[in-house]
Amino acid sequence: MTMLTPEILAYVGVSAATEFACDPVEQGAVRRYAQAIMDEDPNYGPDAPTDTPWGGPIAPPLFVNHAIRRPLGAPDIVQERAKDPHFDGTGAPSGGLPPIEPLKGFAVLNGGAEFELYRYARHGERVQVTQRYADITEKTSSKGSMILVTVEAEIRTAENELLLRARRTLIRRPA
Amino acid sequence: MMRATPRFEDVEVGLELPPLVKGPLTTAHLMRWSASMENWHKIHYDRTFAQEHDHLPDLLINGSFKQQFVLQFLKDWAGPKGWPWKSSFQFRAMNKVGETLTVWGRVTGKREMKGYGLVDIDTGVTNEHGVESTPGKAVVVLPYRDGPALPYPFVAEAGA
Repeated sequence: MTMLTPEILAYVGVSAATEFACDPVEQGAVRRYAQAIMDEDPNYGPDAPTDTPWGGPIAPPLFVNHAIRRPLGAPDIVQERAKDPHFDGTGAPSGGLPPIEPLKGFAVLNGGAEFELYRYARHGERVQVTQRYADITEKTSSKGSMILVTVEAEIRTAENELLLRARRTLIRRPA
Repeated sequence: MMRATPRFEDVEVGLELPPLVKGPLTTAHLMRWSASMENWHKIHYDRTFAQEHDHLPDLLINGSFKQQFVLQFLKDWAGPKGWPWKSSFQFRAMNKVGETLTVWGRVTGKREMKGYGLVDIDTGVTNEHGVESTPGKAVVVLPYRDGPALPYPFVAEAGA
């Protein structure tokens, strides 16, 4: 029996309004990110060489893939669900895409991704993200059935310069 | 750290790219990464939740963490005059906290374009037991030895 209902499939093609990251590409955030991924490339620092194609300090390749954060004053799901023993911590800002209601409560795992890079983001730039549900399919493995949700994103500067295209697969299973 | 950019003519099919080693990846590494990108998914930092609620073997190394390693691997090899254009991968197996991961790559093909060359690469991520978790493919753009600089921002030629 399929888990893939018409109600789930109705989300295919649903897109979000373009959302701007609440912060520009900040030097401090770049430093913390670079340190977290253990890639302390001098191109990320304030003294980055300028004789490069990008001409100065940049962010790591996938920094903008995580550009959308919770702005000050936005609902805090971590606090709202602090007493829920089944809350898995997800539900963070999703770039405006509506949650797939029939999959509420399903566990989430990262199934993989495709990236196409056009240029690095520079310090101080503002970033905007447009996302859509590109596909939703069902797959059966030795561990049972799962729903595969494919999300496509285009990430651009505020001036509409394309930085990155991303296509990621989320594995959703009944918890 | 970026290396000097190889020239397209100097790359051969079968070339093994210099591996990138990360780890051992402790709970502190996972917490630091989750905080840096504001991801609060408990399977990466709450062992009780991961094991008892989600029935996982242990805390998992974030897939998003591993994809940073793959892109760093490509970026460092491409160097400042090359470009890590495309990368795709699947997370086929879990990696658990405490593992040491190695990103590897092997050149599988070369394609000549008008202004630059394209290098096709198989990529992967193995742990210290040699178990592959993240098979993938990538395309790195390299300049010709006596050719022009790559366009930046990179927009591919028709047919690329």
